Amino acid sequence: MTEQNTEQQARIRVQGLEKSFGEHQVLRGIDFESRKGTSTVLLGPSGSGKTTVLRSLNVLETPDRGVIGIDDVEIDFSRLPAGKAGRRESNRLRAQSGMVFQAHNLFPHRTVLENLIEGPVIAQGRPRDEVVAEAKTLLDQVGLGDRADAYPFQLSGGQQQRVGIARALALKPRVVLFDEPTSALDPELVGEVLAVIKDLAADGWTMVIVTHEIRFAEQVADQVLFLDGGVIVEQGPSSQVIGDPREERTRRFLKRILDPG
Amino acid sequence: MRHTLRGVVLLLLLAILVPAAQASAAPAQEGEQPVVRVGTEGTYPPFSFHDPGSQELTGYDIEVIKAIADEAGWRLEFVETQWDAIFPALDAERIDVIANQVSVNDERKAKYGLSETYTYSHGVVVRRTGDDSIKTLADLEGKTTAQSATSNWAQVARDAGAKVESVEGFAQAAALLAQGRVDAIVNDNIAVLDYLASTGSTDVEIAGDAGAEISEQVLAFRKTDTALIEQANKAITALRADGTLRGISEKYFKADVSVAEGGTADLSEGRGARSTWEVIGSTAWPMFIGLVKVTIPLTALSFAIGLVLALLVALARISSYRVLSGLARAFISIIRGTPLLLQLFIVFYGLPQIGLKFPPFTAALIAFSLNVAGYAAEVIRSAILAVPKGQFEAAATIGLDYRKTLRRIVLPQATRTAVPPLSNTLLSLLKDTSLGSVVLLTELFRESQLAAAESNEFLALYAFAGLYYWVICVGLSAAQKRLETRLDRYVAT
Repeated sequence: MTEQNTEQQARIRVQGLEKSFGEHQVLRGIDFESRKGTSTVLLGPSGSGKTTVLRSLNVLETPDRGVIGIDDVEIDFSRLPAGKAGRRESNRLRAQSGMVFQAHNLFPHRTVLENLIEGPVIAQGRPRDEVVAEAKTLLDQVGLGDRADAYPFQLSGGQQQRVGIARALALKPRVVLFDEPTSALDPELVGEVLAVIKDLAADGWTMVIVTHEIRFAEQVADQVLFLDGGVIVEQGPSSQVIGDPREERTRRFLKRILDPG
Repeated sequence: MRHTLRGVVLLLLLAILVPAAQASAAPAQEGEQPVVRVGTEGTYPPFSFHDPGSQELTGYDIEVIKAIADEAGWRLEFVETQWDAIFPALDAERIDVIANQVSVNDERKAKYGLSETYTYSHGVVVRRTGDDSIKTLADLEGKTTAQSATSNWAQVARDAGAKVESVEGFAQAAALLAQGRVDAIVNDNIAVLDYLASTGSTDVEIAGDAGAEISEQVLAFRKTDTALIEQANKAITALRADGTLRGISEKYFKADVSVAEGGTADLSEGRGARSTWEVIGSTAWPMFIGLVKVTIPLTALSFAIGLVLALLVALARISSYRVLSGLARAFISIIRGTPLLLQLFIVFYGLPQIGLKFPPFTAALIAFSLNVAGYAAEVIRSAILAVPKGQFEAAATIGLDYRKTLRRIVLPQATRTAVPPLSNTLLSLLKDTSLGSVVLLTELFRESQLAAAESNEFLALYAFAGLYYWVICVGLSAAQKRLETRLDRYVAT
């Protein structure tokens, strides 16, 4: 990762984020920051807006108002120009992050290696040989060095998701975003994916993770945001938000998750 | 892919522009000998038909027009088409003269430039053998006859109070009468005698004369082509004077039909009947040529051009620009909401009226390509929409723009969904090219029609033509299967 002269500035800066789908306001003013090399976990009941926040960071959703900054790229969405100019700005912000989807969304007609190099070679225009070498290293890192030529359908769900992670890393993003990366997996496959994410945290990647895995969140998160009804209800270190929540809503949510009976 | 796209568009433009330019140059004077395009049926023995041995176009009218051309110094180019398309072809300047026993009537006198008479004949009423309810023209009141819809004989039948079933030529009319689907036919006595003699048919017989009137047959030109008419008349007069016309007539009819009282035509010898296998044997090769030279290239080119257009239309249809998607929707609706035959006629006969004239192959290519585009656009659109939204999102997050997303991620996956329905479109297209026979294209089906008119072997020849189509379709289906297997390689089965 390239060092920028942004030591004093947080790597991710979100201010006053608002978003409506039709009549329904999903985000009602979200503010938070993440420092370089930290993991931020978003928790909250379904419909709380946590996935919309994550997708906004990658501009898969375009917020109605508010500011998102990742490193030196910053967009004030209330002033985003329409048409081509707006798209160009959005693309610059999008290029700052890599996205890992719940359903992996690998390209089924491409091999594992081809999935990894598509973005760097075709979109970023980097030399193929160099990208292929990096991609192979990444595959080794997620434990799939021997499956480079397999098609996605030949892999297990956990392996597919690990390829999804490697594909996001191959873009060399400033930030890696995870949208419920284990929700679609069979329980026995969850562990291998979480292990990879923990490794990334240890390696110093800056990550934002939406998950329902509370124990995992406790271990990996430097910062936990608890969302409900489109606002951040409680935020702080995991030991506080998960270990000793102050807010009633947080407590009820954690109880439901940890003790579903 | 961008390069292939550009190449195909270029090809399309070339295919349309080059022949069009040639076509507009063709009628121009070439040296001293003007090229005169002759419209004729090729399926109306003994006047205009294909010699069963040599496959050459021949007959009384053909020999007469050739003699006239020698006399007048024309170079001839024959265009064969069914009767009901002959006058439209003359109007659309696809031919310059009709040599096909055009009978004189007031309407034609008013609209066209008619030559001197070169055949005198009279009409007869033909009935199923032994059907005593029909003896004269008057008995046709309330009956059904089979005629070429726009022929003079159809008018005679209508005037007698008969209902007219439209057919493509005399052989077809005779078949309908023999099968009991119509009650009678009114036609030229010579054509009827030829049919009876050459087929040996005892199913139908001449009931009597269709009125006392003598009918006169002439060449028909456009009224404005006065120079050609004058040259033709001069030639006919000369050929009558030197006995050439009498010679041709006696060769075919053992009588001189080129003058009013030249005796009774006698065709009792016939043209020599052949066995079904001989007919098929001599037609198989011309049909194969029609298949290879017209049917297959027309199918392949129309499909290729149609697919490119279909992709553009499909993208326009899903675009968020209202105008674009509205236009695409309208195009699809029109193509799918009107008959293919009508689209073909609009391109071939309609567009020349606003100055857009294409040769037959190009006209068919345009019509078929647009038709494929209309149908395939919907197939491609739904195949694109069937690609999961997550694929578009994943492509976006790795930085691909819209075009690259389509080209590299979406279309390869949509292809898998689209191949089976598109194969259907291709098979339909192959068979639909038989409609080309009505816009002067001598393709596979037209060849079988020509042979059937001469030999009356409808069942055998149409079945044989069907065999050709079927074999090609089987081949295409096998290719589809292989392609599907290839595209399925990245899917769990």
